Formats: sequence, structure tokens, C-alpha cells
Amino acid sequence: MTDMLRTLCTIDGTSGHEDAVRDYIIAHLPTDCEHRTDALGNLIVFKKGKSRAKNRVMLAAHMDEVGMIVTHIDADGYLKFTTVGGITPGVLAGRTVRFANGTVGVLGIKPIHLTSKSEEGDLPSTDKMYIDIGAVSKEDAETVVALGDVAVFNEAFMPLGEHKVCSKALDDRMGCFALLQLLNEETSADAYFVFTVQEEIGLRGASTAAFQVAPDYAIVLEGTTAADLPDAQDEKKVCIQGNGAAVSFMDRSTLYPPKLYKLAMQLAKDHNIPVQTKTMVAGGNDAGAIHKAGAGVQVLTVNVPCRYIHSGSSVADMRDFDSVIELTRLLLGALADV
Amino acid sequence: MDMINDLRRLCTAVGVSGNESEAAAVAKELLSQFTSDIRTDALGSVIGTVGTTGPRIMLEAHLDQIGMIVTAVDEKTGFVRFDRCGGTDRRVLAAERITIHGEKDIPAVIISTPPHLLDKADENKSLPFDKLAADTGLSAEEAQKYIHPGDRITVNPRFEVLRNDRVCASFSDDRAGVLTVLRALEILQNTDHGCQIIAVFASQEETGGSGAKTASFGVEPQEAIAVDVSFAAAPDTSDIHTHLGKGTMICFAPGLSADMSRTLVCLAKEKDIAYQCEVAGRSTGTDADDIAISRAGVKTGLLSLPQRNMHTGVEIIDMKDIEATAQLMAAYIIHRGGQRND
Repeated sequence: MTDMLRTLCTIDGTSGHEDAVRDYIIAHLPTDCEHRTDALGNLIVFKKGKSRAKNRVMLAAHMDEVGMIVTHIDADGYLKFTTVGGITPGVLAGRTVRFANGTVGVLGIKPIHLTSKSEEGDLPSTDKMYIDIGAVSKEDAETVVALGDVAVFNEAFMPLGEHKVCSKALDDRMGCFALLQLLNEETSADAYFVFTVQEEIGLRGASTAAFQVAPDYAIVLEGTTAADLPDAQDEKKVCIQGNGAAVSFMDRSTLYPPKLYKLAMQLAKDHNIPVQTKTMVAGGNDAGAIHKAGAGVQVLTVNVPCRYIHSGSSVADMRDFDSVIELTRLLLGALADV
Repeated sequence: MDMINDLRRLCTAVGVSGNESEAAAVAKELLSQFTSDIRTDALGSVIGTVGTTGPRIMLEAHLDQIGMIVTAVDEKTGFVRFDRCGGTDRRVLAAERITIHGEKDIPAVIISTPPHLLDKADENKSLPFDKLAADTGLSAEEAQKYIHPGDRITVNPRFEVLRNDRVCASFSDDRAGVLTVLRALEILQNTDHGCQIIAVFASQEETGGSGAKTASFGVEPQEAIAVDVSFAAAPDTSDIHTHLGKGTMICFAPGLSADMSRTLVCLAKEKDIAYQCEVAGRSTGTDADDIAISRAGVKTGLLSLPQRNMHTGVEIIDMKDIEATAQLMAAYIIHRGGQRND
């Protein structure tokens, strides 16, 4: 089962360059569904369930991941870049990145031996960083890289411990994987499954997708930040890895309808599905765009807690993923018939 | 020798200071192409002798790599606390993948502070070692079973061939130096060089040079050339004027033999070997410092491989510089062997 997740995470797909992710998903859709790709690249899939839905329900996950885009190539062949989506300097310095054509670049840093006591421990900001592909001149670099080319973290997918996985792009290939898994089983009711583009640069794909689908209800499946780390205060942990699906009541982009939040918690309780509240008003996701689409949509977000999100090595617990799948399955049926 | 493949094998072998045995095994295997007279001393340095007569010249590189060492395993959460072992750079550790060499090798990820917990002012600050922890994905019980204080930790090695013979190889400090010594032995293999060469791959350089100190006492060379890495210019370095791919770096320093440094320059010119000069005002910060004052003193030279991003997982070296350095070492051996016959 994790082979599919492994492949999904390994495919490159920074915002605006989701094609390869979409191609993979299309290739793995069941035969009993209809799909189309819209102008921005959103993949919209409709699947009939056991019953005709009273309400139009949309499930969404985003295909794009954070990465880097080349903005300048200097005379010595170093590439300047800006991040696509939010990436902090600490998870970039000293790592390698990979371009679509296989070119590998290095994010170097001035050796610690050459830093002064006063700057000890300080990282350069991303605008001071550069990608080193071993080129000796601008012309040399330009034989393999052009302005506007995008790169991703050059990290493999790996299991961690008994239940966890470590990879780039768990945000939100976890959600894509969940949708694919639900699509490949018999669903309780008709529903739209939407794989969106450009979430990381401002929820852009979800806004146009929701406009077209015009759902009554939407469930966003996301990887959200888990800060259950040593030295973190309890109230700032957001959610705890291993404690189940994390359901949001509010984040920086959305106020979730209380009755939907309560419905999710109640369903989980009734069916013994591990669930937790996403406790901090932090982050945002496609729900922020979906709830404002058309005449308005009632939304819910069900999260897989991810540690070290937006790095090349985010970590998720597959038991939480399983809870997300179980809860979403029930929510789909419930919202279709509310 | 298949230089890229041998470099890969050397750089990906584990050998944090004080526990170099896996790297030593690879080094020994490669060394056995040139001699069967190989031993490991009390501190773990690998010593191989080639030739039985002539001046005793030691060619040295250090075997150990920087890493980390486990200090505690949290009883409740299983998070592993650690400190550095050698000059590991904490700035490059957030969300970095590592291996804890416990009762078995345990993969782990170092924690990274999520942006919502960072004040804007702290975004460019890295956590000090006592605030870092490793996440193994294991339960506290399992983590405690396999991981104990004193276990070494290494960053998972990267090995990527870049453009223009450049290679991004974690721990090329100083496994690339080990490869350089081996390549010099290969160049000298079928020559009548006239020297007794002692190849030394020293332990514990990164933690203070104990390996080179004791190995050179044991070897008792007449002269020595050490090879290590040194700084190559990059966009964020200032006052570094040595470059990747521009040749071996011949060091001039008060503690080194000026005579040897000059001879190395003359030989590089004569044999048309690419070189650049590096000058240190005091110590060199390499094993050469300890070798030079071994026993009654050893005439010592230092050749360095220019390197970018030293002490990170993305150290970059240029294969051309390894070749130039090996050629110059070999030229020096032939020169010294020839002097004897004069």
C-alpha cells in the first residue's frame, strides 16, 4: 500500500508544475469514474456511489508541493532562486535539490570555521542562498538550467520506525493518496474528488475548482503541522502524531462551521476512530478558498499530523492516515445525506 | 582505481572520531592493492608500508569523520538527545536525516522548529545542540532498547556527481584525502621510487589529532606529507582566494617545513601539476601540526584539496584536484628517492 504513497511523494510537482502528479493519479483512477482537467490543471473526478447524494459533496487534496524556482544565473554559474511556497532557511542550508532533467544542485553555506562568534548559529536568509550545480560559468550552467526552472528537495521516501514514513511532499500527497484510496473502493454516495493545483502559493487551484464543482459541502484532506516536539509548550503543539485524524475548528484561512466540526468529532467517537482537535489557529489550506467559492460552501478539514512539514524530511504516522481515511469515508456518507 | 566508485565507498563508510572501524575496513581493502604490510594501531589508525629501503616518508590523511554522539534517550517520548562529536555544524541539522549507530542502525530525523513556533527574528537562528533531538519513529521503549548514550550518529551521506568533475560528497573531509594517498600509491606502483612509503590513515583528527600524534610516533618517519581539505571560494566566503578545480593547495605555514613547501612548488612547476598556494599564519588546523612535532621532529608538508561547504553534508570537491595532489605527492616521493641514489 505504501508503494503508491512512496511514488506519489517521489514525483516532482512544485506549484504550477503538477503535471506529473496528475498523470500518475489519472493512471490510477478506477474505470467507474469520470474525470477532466481544467484550465489551471486541477483534476476533477466524479464517482457514483452506492446511493444518489442529496447534497453535492466535494473532497479535495492538493497535488503541488513546495520547492524552489531559479530567478538568476550569475557569471560564475551559481543559481539564485526564490522559494515556491514557504520554506525556512534551516531546512534548505546544506541540502541538495533536484531539477526535472535530473540535474542536482547543492545549497551551500559558508563553513562554520569562517563564521564569526557573533554570527554563530545564524543562517543566511533564503535570498542570500544559491544553488551550486558545479558549473564554472553562466554559459556552462545554462546548458542544463534556465530561468524559471523549478527544483524539489532531493530526498527519498523512507519508512521510520514501525508506523511512520519520512519524505518530501507528504503535504499533501498524503491527501492525494487518501483520495485515490477512497476512489478505488465502493463509496457510499456520489461525490466529486478534486486534486487541486497551486495550494502552496495561495490556494489558487481550489478556488477555480470549487467554482466549477459548486459543492454544498467540501472536505479538505491535508497534511498539517504537528509540533509535538521536545521543548514545545503543550498549547503550541497543534496536534499530536499518533493521536489520530486532526480536525480543525479554525485556521488562518477558514472558520469551520461548528456543526460540521461537531459532526466529525461525533462520528469518530461513535465509530471508535482516533481523532483529535487541531488546537492552534495556525496555517491555512484549500478550505480557505473553497468556502468562499460561488455562493459559499460549508467546509471541513481533516488532517494528517506531519512533523517537519515543508522540509525534505517531513514525518507522518500511517495510523493517523488510516484514521483520516476512516473518518472521511463516514463524513462523505453523512454530508451527502444531511 | 575507479576513483569515483572508490570515493563513494570511502565517503559512505561510517567512521566517526573514536570509532572508525567501518571506514578503516574499506581503507584497508583499498590499501591492500598496494601492500600486504598493513596494521591498525591502538587508536584505530590504519598503517600500510610500501617498499623496504630508502627514506621513510609518511603520506597521511585522516580517517575519521565528524558526527554526533547520543547523550540521552527520553523515557517518555523516545526523542534522542545528542551532542556533537567533532565540529559538526548545527546550522544544517534541522529536518536532516541521520543514522544512529546503536545496537543496530536506526534511521532518524532531527527535529525542526515549525514556522508557527518561530518569532520572525528567530527564523534565521539554528537550535543549539542541547535543544536538538532525533526523532526515530520508535516508541520510547523500543528507542531505549536499541539506543544508548555514547552511540555515534552520522548524517546520512550524500554522494552526487555534479558538473565539471565536481562531486558533492559528505565526509570528503577527509576520505577524499585517503583516496588521494591511495591514488599516489597507484601512480608509484610500477616505478622505482626508492622510498619506503608509510601510508597512514589516522583516527581522531576531528577531535584533536590523537590518531596522527600516536601513529607518527609509532611510524617514526623521516618526512611526512599530510593531505586534508581546505577552503575553496564560494559566493558567501570573503578572503578565500583558493578555488575548486585550480589544483592542489600547497601550504606555507610556520610549523611546516618551508624547504618542503618550496620543493613541492618547484616540482609542481616542473611537472606541470596545477597548484595554488595557501598560507597559514600559525597552525594549519590539520594533522600536519601534530606530525611535525612527533618524537624529535619530522619535516612535514601539507597539501590540501580545495573544498566548499566544509563540515556540512554537502561538501564539494573536484576530482581534478585529487589527481593533481596525488601526482604531486608521487613526484615528491620520486624526487626524494632519486636524491638518495645521487
